[in-house]
Amino acid sequence: MVAPQTGAATIGAINIRGVKKTFTHQDGSIIEALSNVDLSVAAGEFITLIGPSGCGKSTLLRAIAGLHPVDAGELTLDGEPITGPAAERGLVFQDPLLFPWLNIHDNVAFGLKARHLYREHKAEVGQFLKLVGLETFGKSYPHQLSGGMQQRAALARALVNQPSVLLLDEPLGALDAFTRMNMQDEIIRIWQERKTTMIMVTHDVDEAVYLADRVVVMCPRPARIEEIISVKRERPRARSHPDFLQLRGKLLKILDFGGQEREPEYRI
Amino acid sequence: MPHRLSGLLLFPLLVGVWAFVAEILPPQSRYLFPAPLAVARALWESLGVLWQGTVASMMILIPGYILAVLAAVLFGIPVGATTWARHFFAPLMRVAAPVPPTVYVPYAIALLPTFRASAIFVVFIGAFWPVFLGAVSGAATVPERHRDNARVLGFGRWEYWRRVAFHAALPAIFNGMGVGMAMAFILLTVAELFGANVGLGHFVQYYADFADYPRMVAGIIYTGAVTFSAMTLLAQLQKRMLFWNI
Ligand SMILES: Nc1ncnc2c1ncn2[C@@H]1O[C@H](COP(=O)(O)OP(=O)(O)OP(=O)(O)O)[C@@H](O)[C@H]1O
Ligand SMILES: [Mg+2]
Repeated sequence: MVAPQTGAATIGAINIRGVKKTFTHQDGSIIEALSNVDLSVAAGEFITLIGPSGCGKSTLLRAIAGLHPVDAGELTLDGEPITGPAAERGLVFQDPLLFPWLNIHDNVAFGLKARHLYREHKAEVGQFLKLVGLETFGKSYPHQLSGGMQQRAALARALVNQPSVLLLDEPLGALDAFTRMNMQDEIIRIWQERKTTMIMVTHDVDEAVYLADRVVVMCPRPARIEEIISVKRERPRARSHPDFLQLRGKLLKILDFGGQEREPEYRI
Repeated sequence: MPHRLSGLLLFPLLVGVWAFVAEILPPQSRYLFPAPLAVARALWESLGVLWQGTVASMMILIPGYILAVLAAVLFGIPVGATTWARHFFAPLMRVAAPVPPTVYVPYAIALLPTFRASAIFVVFIGAFWPVFLGAVSGAATVPERHRDNARVLGFGRWEYWRRVAFHAALPAIFNGMGVGMAMAFILLTVAELFGANVGLGHFVQYYADFADYPRMVAGIIYTGAVTFSAMTLLAQLQKRMLFWNI
């Protein structure tokens, strides 16, 4: 659908204004999963989303994907209100959700087939499988793959749709450190090549800082955006650059994991 | 493996008990309860007729069953996947499905022009409901994650039914197909008892009327073997198609 572009991205700008979302649980208790969230994401920007468990990160991604209506506020993509899911906004779920009855190749080809684009884009299925290192597993079934492999397959399945916005909910969570760094670089490469707007949830501070143009920190009770930190480093980036160390410390402090070093009275 | 084969021991054991009971019965009631050997002889002599009966019965069972499965799946998946349709059809399912389809047999035979047509019809009714209920409940309980996934990948309604709901419902459909197959055999033989001049049910009925009990029992055992084969075939198909469902 979208050929590799040069220059700045022109599509994929997201605007979130005053979004609220509450869930009512079976026992009648009301959970405020998002309370008044504002966020503007430029076309082609890379956002990472970090925050403690249960603070509404997945809920925010699902709202942008159009999977559930919000209670208040407004979400737009390139000025158009988001009213439901669409292939232009790809979502990779927190747990890899492959269809167990399809082999890996067919899982990745799934979105193309559904939209009757499979014939013209057949070759890309193989390319994306290769990209995530699963080219020899096309004929295997999900239950025959490890958790990390399933996650990579789920990533390939979202990528093959070539969305203008890619929403990633901890897509690298189940990977070992090396595969993970590899995949981070691949994601950056894909992002630079396709100019896709990326919003990625992560629990890993280093990953958040290494990947992002801006890191969005969320906080629970009430679930909201606490702070947004710009990472003004050119790419390719060096993982061990001192600036990152400083940003990392700043983030950890916002997240209340700054440590106690600066308060000697707590030291033994 | 040895555990699975242990089931085969049951048959010689049952035959042994049967032979023993036939032996200790008083002579005047023996003709009502023929010994295994007499039945075996009757079975051997009747194999030709029984085979013809099998062919005639299958000409009813197979079209009735296949039509039932097709209709139940084609209709059941959209109904199960659509909330309003599910509620709309719920009363019908609750009322019509539990009616023992054998009650339709005399009426179907009176109503439809040929015996074959009416027998196919009752087999259809008998097999339809279990498969339909399976398809509806299977399509209604597709895990939410699969539904969300299909939606973010850009699926329309029809594509969702065909590529997601059908597959997710397949285990429930196969359960229904097992029950439906048993129902189909029951209805087939009941229909044949009523109005056929060939077929497995007719064979049993015919020799019961003549009090030729060795042949009647042979017919029952043969019918049991055919049913068993059909159920085994279905189980094999299920195992093949649901390899992912572990
Ligand atoms: N479908 C739902 N029904 C009811 N409550 C929900 C639902 N989805 C999320 N919630 C609630 O909303 C809150 C935020 O959940 P969410 O999944 O967005 O958190 P998260 O930030 O993604 O957490 P994690 O890092 O553990 O994935 C939680 O308190 C959760 O209980
Ligand atoms: Mg989450």
